[in-house]
Amino acid sequence: MALACPRCNTQNPDTNAFCQACGTPLASFIAQPAAPPMEPPPGLAPPVVGPPPGAPPPQYQSPYYAPAPGYAQPPVHRTPWVLIVSAVVGLVVIMAGAGTAYAFLSNRNANPSGSSGLLPSPSPAGSPSPIPSSTATPASGGTASNATFSVTVPAGWVIASKDSTTIALTDPSGNAVAITSGTSNPPQTAQQNKDSLDKSLAAKSPDAHQCPNTKVTNGSLNGAAGIFWQMCFTLTSGSQSVQAAAPLFAGANADGSVYYGIVLLSLASNKDSFSAEAAPVLASIKWGLH
Amino acid sequence: MAQPSVFTTLFPHLGHHKIHEFRWAFIAGLAGVLLLYVAGLITAAILVSAFLVPVLYLIYLYEAQVYRDEPAIVLGFTIGGGVVVGIVVTLFERVIYNPFQYFPSPFGGAGISVGGVLILGLLIPVIQEALKPIPAFFLPNRADFPETVDGLVFGVAAGLGFSVAETLIGFSNTLANLPPHVAPGNWIYDLATLAIFQPLLQGSATGMIVATIWRFRRGRLGGREIGGVAMAVIAHVAFSTGTVLLKDAGINPLFILVWQAVVVGALLIYIRYLLHYSLLEEAAHMGFAETVCPNCHMHIVASGFCPNCGMALSAAPTSVRRGRRPRAEPAAKPAAKKA
Repeated sequence: MALACPRCNTQNPDTNAFCQACGTPLASFIAQPAAPPMEPPPGLAPPVVGPPPGAPPPQYQSPYYAPAPGYAQPPVHRTPWVLIVSAVVGLVVIMAGAGTAYAFLSNRNANPSGSSGLLPSPSPAGSPSPIPSSTATPASGGTASNATFSVTVPAGWVIASKDSTTIALTDPSGNAVAITSGTSNPPQTAQQNKDSLDKSLAAKSPDAHQCPNTKVTNGSLNGAAGIFWQMCFTLTSGSQSVQAAAPLFAGANADGSVYYGIVLLSLASNKDSFSAEAAPVLASIKWGLH
Repeated sequence: MAQPSVFTTLFPHLGHHKIHEFRWAFIAGLAGVLLLYVAGLITAAILVSAFLVPVLYLIYLYEAQVYRDEPAIVLGFTIGGGVVVGIVVTLFERVIYNPFQYFPSPFGGAGISVGGVLILGLLIPVIQEALKPIPAFFLPNRADFPETVDGLVFGVAAGLGFSVAETLIGFSNTLANLPPHVAPGNWIYDLATLAIFQPLLQGSATGMIVATIWRFRRGRLGGREIGGVAMAVIAHVAFSTGTVLLKDAGINPLFILVWQAVVVGALLIYIRYLLHYSLLEEAAHMGFAETVCPNCHMHIVASGFCPNCGMALSAAPTSVRRGRRPRAEPAAKPAAKKA
């Protein structure tokens, strides 16, 4: 009896569990599981598999055959499962060793000393004064301003983005400064603004944490009282991942109705040099809301 | 067909037993990544994640002997070529994209950088999908590998080579500067992307495009194949755009993984759809022969599919395909005698 494939109508011998033209399971075999896979014993010839019970009608050739004596089965290349798993375990062990050793070597000469911070010499709260900076250079690139503050853009720097509350600048090396100010409703303290910034950074990075050997200090920046601290984190964006550092300032006015914020963003290894480079920019900020 | 099975789709030459062995090996590798993560050895975990799927694929290529007698040429033009393209494209990405410039403002929490989304979500994926298939396209002995399934495998290999280079170059700063031991934090999400979804996306998207090129060479380019190329590009754009947008918006990273899994799953299903019809068409021209099913090991007389277990014989390992012995049609001998 022939079995017609329900999918392609090919006539199959009734010993077929699957259509030989399209691989579709055949109806009469749905209730019967296909023969289980058989593994040839290692080093021995494969077992001779005879036709299953129920010979096909004469017009159909059996889909099974017994190999002739002495017939060598073509080798089915089979990598032992132990070798496959071992390769993966070996990969884990080798990469764990290599990665850890590389990390140790790369960090051996890292500078463990802390820095005074991105925002140099914050003055004590309550005594607002411009940031003193002996390395300040005259800004010659113009001024960027919005409804809440203005800032000098040094030569070579560009305005990366700007809206009614935030201006972001980048230096020629790609390091960035983001400055923001606006009204808080409901009112928020400087500490609450700091907590919001920490939370935002934590959501954008797998490992945001306060940079080692740095302190959280209170101070003021051009008349805005607030908190200075530094965060270190991995910044992954697209296929790029870098170790970044962000000295930050979060402030508020006396009644909490106005917030002030600054983020300096650079490679962790450039944190201190960029802080010095950005000092004149920060010194030039003129807050419009008090 | 409509199941996003990674191994039966991207490792098409493996029988059921071997599939399970590769699955367990993959799970063992993921367990290794998890252990390294828990131990805080993130640098090591990143390296294992980058190499896990490509190394498994290398073992698969060896197991199935897809490259036949020319492993150096085939592996060089697929995995090696993918690595070279990956280095070039990732370095180019570094030139045009400054992560600090497009870092969304942390003030206000959910700032989205439009420029960053356009570059990372649209421009880079399109460039990658245009360049990744090139090594496989220029495979010198490609006429020896005419089947669509060959094109798929070579494309996946090229995509995985690209993925390794992309991860190593892209994460070079982190690998060099991350302390040997850190608090695990939320690294598990990035590691899951690196170990699972990124290589699967890069491999399957390129596999689909190269499979389409192979179909074109056989003169079988139709809507299904053109749709495959569109699907690969759209999936890559959706994967990257969704990841950037969700990350910028400060969404729980678990949802980012869910999004990536959905996109990769859809891509895998389309590959199965394309491959299914390709195998049907190509099996029709194989002719009956005596062979041994690589899956159930029955001695069978078959053309395209094993009558016992349904395995597509055009996706059998090279050694099995070479061992096929043509068999005469049953009615031919009596007819000849009468004549």
